[in-house]
This record gives sequence, structure tokens and C-alpha cells, in this order.
Amino acid sequence: MPKLIFRLLLTFFVFVGVFILIQRSVTPDSFGKYGHYRANSLDDNLMKPFYYKGEAKCTECHQDVFDQKASDLHDAVRCESCHTPKIPGTVECKVKPPIVKGTIEFCAQCHAINAGRLEKGVPQLDFKEHYEKQNCIECHNPHAPWELKEN
Amino acid sequence: MGTERKLNNRRKFFQTSAALVGGTLLYSLIKPFEGLAQPKEEETKIDKADLPLWGMGVDIEKCIGCGKCAEACKIENNVPREPFYFRTWVEQYTVKNNGEVKIESPNGGIGGLKQSVPDEDIFKSFMVPKLCNHCSKAPCVQACPVGATYISPDGVVLVDESYCIGCSYCIQACPYGVRFMNPITKVADKCTFCYHRITKGLQPACVEVCPTNARIFGNLRDKESDLVAFLQENATQVLKPHLNTHSRVFYNGLTSEVK
Repeated sequence: MPKLIFRLLLTFFVFVGVFILIQRSVTPDSFGKYGHYRANSLDDNLMKPFYYKGEAKCTECHQDVFDQKASDLHDAVRCESCHTPKIPGTVECKVKPPIVKGTIEFCAQCHAINAGRLEKGVPQLDFKEHYEKQNCIECHNPHAPWELKEN
Repeated sequence: MGTERKLNNRRKFFQTSAALVGGTLLYSLIKPFEGLAQPKEEETKIDKADLPLWGMGVDIEKCIGCGKCAEACKIENNVPREPFYFRTWVEQYTVKNNGEVKIESPNGGIGGLKQSVPDEDIFKSFMVPKLCNHCSKAPCVQACPVGATYISPDGVVLVDESYCIGCSYCIQACPYGVRFMNPITKVADKCTFCYHRITKGLQPACVEVCPTNARIFGNLRDKESDLVAFLQENATQVLKPHLNTHSRVFYNGLTSEVK
């Protein structure tokens, strides 16, 4: 073999070898286990903390409120639709009770008049006409909105 | 005496340096061959038919635009509260009597959407929740140069936050505009169907809080799931079907105005 060709081949294989070495040392461990990605990343996504506990968890302590809610028009509304959690789901919820002030602005999120809401079965109000200054929960029980409180 | 100590020190210095450099070099040379001694696990073929295939149905006829879903998503996934970062949001479409279409989504619908067009000008008005469509042929996955975004075995498009290099190619590739650059982690961020929840048997946060059940989540392979029932009952469509992304978010009541 001519010296020239030998040197060329040698350089070529050295380059290929170096490339393989670098590639093997920088590829993360679980890469390519399921496809062109790091399989451990699935666990990273799994391990994130959750906040919303689900209605079943709330009902464990608040069965009475749940029954009341189920008896009236807010039956399809889940607890956490209004009571947004403030702490991760693994922490005892008594630490920071998710109390809601039933202000007009809060109830208006669903019940203010909007042309896109007509005929969807959600009562809509002009809050200025209805009761301008009072909070909704002063008359309505939010868990059973058709039960009016006596003033 | 002084010179001797100096020499000794110099010798020690060279010895330690040589040991350090040599050790590092040796390790970097050996590490790639670890795989040879212990054969690397082959690409595991998992039987996908046993796994769930997650999908979502969105009923435009039921959505009232209260924005609870967008709010819940931000709480659940620690999305920055500024009004430009959303994993899911709600748009209000208003078709005026003169044929103009007005699309608005102030703060993603959080706090409830308000109609800004006077009643007498409105021909029709409706709300459309938007989120990642979890395409089976996802353009964002094809665009990622490092394999940091991928379709999980159960059909959810996820981001590998520790591997993403933040090049934003996926954000440009997404035809639905559902990806954004997270200003805190500095990597691409998107809806994961609340992957940490659905794998624990919970519903995604947006589905959990929807007061009118306008979002239906479930397993497309389970013929008894609510989602399959929803698909059988309604004539559903996907967004931008001409792009052949084969998305897994199905809309009921989708009209031609929706982009």
C-alpha cells in the first residue's frame, strides 16, 4: 500500500473513532430507549407536584356540602371550580383553607350577560339591575343557589 | 535548602497535575466503552395497544367563556401569571351583521370573557377553548434539533425541560401557536394534558374545573370512556385538518370562522 493512502486511511479511521467516542460520551443515558428522546424525561414530567385534588378528595370531609350541591343547579360545578387550591395537593388543605368571597365580580365570571352564553343553560344577569351593591352570597347560598337566605 | 524545597514543590505540582489530567482523560476514554462491557439496553419495544391513548373533546356549544380552565392551568402548572403565557386559553368569536369576525381573548379569558360588540351588531357569538392539540404527526417534534420534545408512548406531546436548548424552533413550527418560551425556565413550555395528573388517575386541571363539562378527557382506546361516547354522539372536527397533523383534540360545533 502506498504510504500516502495508508496515512489517509489512518486519519479517516482516527476521525471516525474520535467521533464515536464523543458521541457516546455526550448522549444521555436513557436516550433512545423508547424513541428519539430521553426516556427518563417521562419520569421528570410525572413527578411534578399537583394542586387540584379532585372532588372525591373534598367529599371525604365535606359530604354535607357535596350533597347540598348535588341537590341544586350547581351540581355540575366541581368544588375546585370556585375554591381554587393555594397549596400542592399532597399538603393537608386545612393549612390554607381556600375560602372564596362571593362578590359580584366572582359570580359574574359565569353569570354576566354575554351574547356567546345565550341558550347554554346558564342564567345571565345584568348585575347593575339585579343588586348593585350587595355581594351575591348575602342572598344566595352558593352551594344551592335557588335557596335564598332570609334577610 | 531553599532550592530543594522549591524543587520538591514543583515536582509535587507536576505529579498532581499529571494525575488529574490523566485521570480525566482516562475516564472520558473509558466511559464510552462502558456500553461494551455491559451491553446497552436495546430500544425497548412496548406494546402500545396496552397503553392508553389520551385525547380530549371540546364542546363549543357548552363553553360559556368563564376562563376557569385557563386560571386552573396556570395554578396547576406554575405558568407565569403575565397575560402572554398560556398553556390553554379561551377565545371569543363574534360574527357581526356585516360579516366581520372579531376574535378576542383578554388575559386568555381569565376572569370571564366580556362581549365588547354591542348586541344589535352581533350575528352570532361563541367561545372556543384552545390548547395543545397533541398531534400524532407533530410538527414541533419534527422541528426539534435535539430530541427534547417528543410524543410519549401514550400519545402526549411532552417537553424534556432539562434537555431543551431553548432554540424556539418548535414554537415557530407549531401551527396552533400553543407553545411559548417560559421566562423562568428559559425552555419551551406547553400543555402536557397535565401528564402528572392523568398518570395518577386524575383529570387534567382544566377538565376538573370546567363548570359546564365543555371539556371531555379520556382514553381513545377505551370504548366505554366518556370521550369515545362524545365522539360517537357528535360530529366532531379537528383544527386545521388540511395540515394533516392528526391531532387528538376534537371540537364539536366548530365553524369555518375558527382558525
